Amino acid sequence: MRKFLSPYLSSPITVIGGLLSLGWLLVALLAPVLAPYDPIKTLMPLAKPGALNPAGGTFWLGTDMLGRDILSRLIYGARTVVVFATLATLTAYFVGVTLGLAAGYWRGRLDAVLSYFANVVLSFPVLVLYIVIIVVIGSSPFNIILAVTFGSAPAIFRIVRGITIDVASRDYVSAAITQGESAWRIMLFDILPTASGPLAVDFCLRLGYTAITIGTLGFLGLGLPPPTPDWGTMVNEGRGMAIAFPHLVIFPCLAISSLMLGLSLLADGLREVSDAQGRRA
Amino acid sequence: MTLILFIVRKLGGAAAAMLTVSFLVYLALEVNVEDVAVKVLGQFSTDAQRAAWLTANGYDDPFFIRYGRWLWSFVTGNWGDSTYYRAPVIDLVPDRLAASGILAGGALLVMVPVGLLAGILAGMRPGSLIDRAVSLLSIVTTSIPDFASAVFLSAVFVFWLNWLPGASTMLSGFSLSEMVLPVLVLAFYSTGYLARVTRASMVEVMGTHYIRTARLKGASPARIVWRHALRNALITPVTVIMLQLPWLLSGVIVVEVFYAYKGFGTLLYDAALNSDIRLVEACAMVSVLVVVATQILSDIAYGWLNPRVSLLEATMGNK
Amino acid sequence: MRTDERQPILKVKNLSVTLPKGSDRPYAVNDVSFDLKPGEILCIVGESGSGKSVLSSALMGAVPEGLKVAGGQVLLEDKDLTRLSERAFRAIRGRDIAMIFQEPMASLNPAMTVADQIEEVFLLHSEFDAAERAKRARALVEAMRLPNPDRILKAYPHQLSGGQCQRVVIAMALAMSPRILIADEPTTALDVTTQAQVLKLIGELRDVHGHGIVFITHDFGVVADIADRVAVMKHGEIVEIGEAKQVLTAPQHPYTQALIAAVPSLDPHDRPAAAEADPVLAVRGLQHSYGALAVLKDIDLSLAPGRVVSIVGESGCGKSTLAKAMIRLIEAKGGRVEVAGTDILALPSKKLEKYRRTIQMIFQDPFGSLNPRRRVGPMIARAARLAGASSTEARRRTEELLDLVGLHKSAYWRKPGAFSGGQRQRIGIARALAMQPDVLIADESVSALDVSVQAQVLALLRDLQERLQLAIVFITHDLRVAAQISDEIVVMQKGEIVERGTAAMVLQAPSHPYTKTLLEAAPGRSTF
Repeated sequence: MRKFLSPYLSSPITVIGGLLSLGWLLVALLAPVLAPYDPIKTLMPLAKPGALNPAGGTFWLGTDMLGRDILSRLIYGARTVVVFATLATLTAYFVGVTLGLAAGYWRGRLDAVLSYFANVVLSFPVLVLYIVIIVVIGSSPFNIILAVTFGSAPAIFRIVRGITIDVASRDYVSAAITQGESAWRIMLFDILPTASGPLAVDFCLRLGYTAITIGTLGFLGLGLPPPTPDWGTMVNEGRGMAIAFPHLVIFPCLAISSLMLGLSLLADGLREVSDAQGRRA
Repeated sequence: MTLILFIVRKLGGAAAAMLTVSFLVYLALEVNVEDVAVKVLGQFSTDAQRAAWLTANGYDDPFFIRYGRWLWSFVTGNWGDSTYYRAPVIDLVPDRLAASGILAGGALLVMVPVGLLAGILAGMRPGSLIDRAVSLLSIVTTSIPDFASAVFLSAVFVFWLNWLPGASTMLSGFSLSEMVLPVLVLAFYSTGYLARVTRASMVEVMGTHYIRTARLKGASPARIVWRHALRNALITPVTVIMLQLPWLLSGVIVVEVFYAYKGFGTLLYDAALNSDIRLVEACAMVSVLVVVATQILSDIAYGWLNPRVSLLEATMGNK
Repeated sequence: MRTDERQPILKVKNLSVTLPKGSDRPYAVNDVSFDLKPGEILCIVGESGSGKSVLSSALMGAVPEGLKVAGGQVLLEDKDLTRLSERAFRAIRGRDIAMIFQEPMASLNPAMTVADQIEEVFLLHSEFDAAERAKRARALVEAMRLPNPDRILKAYPHQLSGGQCQRVVIAMALAMSPRILIADEPTTALDVTTQAQVLKLIGELRDVHGHGIVFITHDFGVVADIADRVAVMKHGEIVEIGEAKQVLTAPQHPYTQALIAAVPSLDPHDRPAAAEADPVLAVRGLQHSYGALAVLKDIDLSLAPGRVVSIVGESGCGKSTLAKAMIRLIEAKGGRVEVAGTDILALPSKKLEKYRRTIQMIFQDPFGSLNPRRRVGPMIARAARLAGASSTEARRRTEELLDLVGLHKSAYWRKPGAFSGGQRQRIGIARALAMQPDVLIADESVSALDVSVQAQVLALLRDLQERLQLAIVFITHDLRVAAQISDEIVVMQKGEIVERGTAAMVLQAPSHPYTKTLLEAAPGRSTF
């Protein structure tokens, strides 16, 4: 374990990225323990950060116009982001990896059709795509996962297909083919492990971008239905009063930016280690 | 001649993509006719009103015939009426698109020089102080969502320093000061991204055999960068700039909504919020048209910069 | 010889270059000294990792990042190049010392025309005006005997062949008539006939201009053809230096002796006489094309058990396509490939998986042919399992095979990264043999190996072949290697078989002009 981690620990940037990402994961897991208040309970409207709760305790980050504690909403919001971003990214990965492997390995007509559709979907500006989808099917947790899957699976498909084509031309895959190894075993044991380095990097980034997408949809008022605590929705709700009460918007923005920054730094570190290993192999 | 053939082929591909998109958009928005009637006539319309409206507008015909008719009227410029703005869609789109174009143009003016310069300086000497600074900064800017950078920049320039207006409604005519923040927010992410791409490309080129050849010819470092590395290193960033335009289109929605700027983004946004399906359809088609057009431009730029790729080959091999 | 009375133009004294910390040895180049006289070609020979390329870059003042010149002198006349500032060295590079490289295509800027790249040397080191620069560039291109100079000058590198690119690089190097030329494996990436032409050109230019040449190579054949003097490098040190004739015919140092002994001879190796047997491999009318370009035209081939046929040809002749089509890694456009009586090409894919066992392949690249993430033992055992062995049987067979190819038992649980190129090739052989094939195809299987390792792997193949009575199709560009292993040799050119016969016949009494060209181009044939 120590040996496995050591190349990552040598770069302070990677460590910071890992700690930030891990930190938000822990916050999400331990939300009920960490949050000082119930995130959807009305306590005292528009308290400034650090204001004292007459019923005891402090509103460290203030409260929103409905009187809900912002810190608690941020903490539970982490849970929302982690759950939905992870679920959506995993589904997108499942679809993208499966189709990408198949298209890259077999090529031919299957590849042509899948690649064509991937290109069509990718030629939509992402946000336009999400807005159209949400307008059509409405905004619900399930629909958001569906929209994100539809929007990012083509990009994953492209990456996996590219790597598969590259790896499939290597001699060790040829060797497996000439031994009569079955296609799915070759994809699973020879191609996928080789792709795991770049995919891990992409996964971190995509997890972050999915979080941003969910946040952006929330910001546009198309996100998860209230009163679910969600960072983007918090910005949307607080926007109108931001001049008088900047704490309504600044803290959720800091939260999502720090999560994405953590994931980006982590991805960067992973990329460096995976590049270095690639050079040595 | 090759250029004409190239453009004809590209346009063919673009037309095919547009056709697919139009079908998907129409399928998504109009396959359920009851839904269409509700969206057009509003929630409080009666069943009888809806049925009459559907019959009057040809919704009793089979789906494919409706799609064909819709496509034909779309191509001939009859885009229907907006239920929200109570005006023909075709009159709404051009002005709004131009307004967003100004925004995107401003963002490009910031992003291209800054991003390229930072990327080249960083990539010239990997591992140097300037490289590490640029790399870190670009990670930071690419990690902040548009709405968050809008909040942060507004917090500094509007709430704290009070230098710039917090909204860009342009109610009293065009105002440059109202443009500054939306442009900065749009450029914020893209500049960092472009710098990263340029840096990576520059690092790769500086490690090639032909750069070593130039060095061993006795060329000076400045000459190596300007004469030998730059043209090769710019191939990727230039295509990235082109492909960044569609991305700006996404960013435009957030920025325009945040600053209440009357552009294409707010048009689409209002259309979506108000279930204005004709307008949504038109906006979706226009945004895909913009994307496809920039893709063609980026392919031409790629072929022009890279003598190894003839335009003809570029049409056959899709990256 | 004729250069002896002249004063050296380059003197290298006790030159050392350190490797970064944590490398397997402290010095890339250790205490190296030699002289170079005008008009002399000094060959520096060594195997991979001997430090010969680092030495060449040190002479140019451009050691790779992380390495450092730690001591010694490089004296150009009386100027010590190791003490020059980067700016001062710049004036010398390209003017007094020039270099040509191993990868000619990659050494030219893809976005600049040939004319621009040659003229740049004048721009940097002379006062010539544009017209004079253009005139001189054209004269240089003509002197390189490039066909159609006007077209070449306007061309971009990707529009030229490898040999043409190398001539352009040489033209660039000779532009300012430097006194010293450093050539780092300049012909290694070229086909054998192109190599012969480029070597001839380098020799002739030397005769005309009288510059001294430091010629880095791994190939003793090339040394025999071109060198006046030879320095042999091992682990960063020169172990032997002397007149070419003497080093090649009467080497003093045991390492030189071993290297020279490992150079495969062009004389056919003695092979047991053919026993009468039905062919185990029969290729009939095999065809393939890429678009309109036919790469295999009606190939016929037959091979009896226990026999070895070599397929020889230059790059692009279709020999690798032939290998891939025979083993059905690509689908041929026509013809039959019968292995032990079954037409492999006609089998539906489900059935094919069962018959794959009968024909196996050893690949060219020892680094690309083993999955770096899988352990060696299980990888071989998996092949045995696919051939129908039970898991205990597979395990036992793998251990036997590791022993048979000369690897230690401990190799079983290690990953490919822990092995050298030669050892990896042994693993590849074991993996192919684990399926107990009827026919083995070796596609350039020893080309990527150093000459001493190459000799060992060839000996192993020969030994296994005789013991197991394997039928081997041996694909190679190297007639010397073919001579060492074949019963029969088939020569391919442009997708066609132009000559076939017993090894002795083809090598000693070739009938087709192309075979004769190939034989004449084989470097060092007067010596080895």
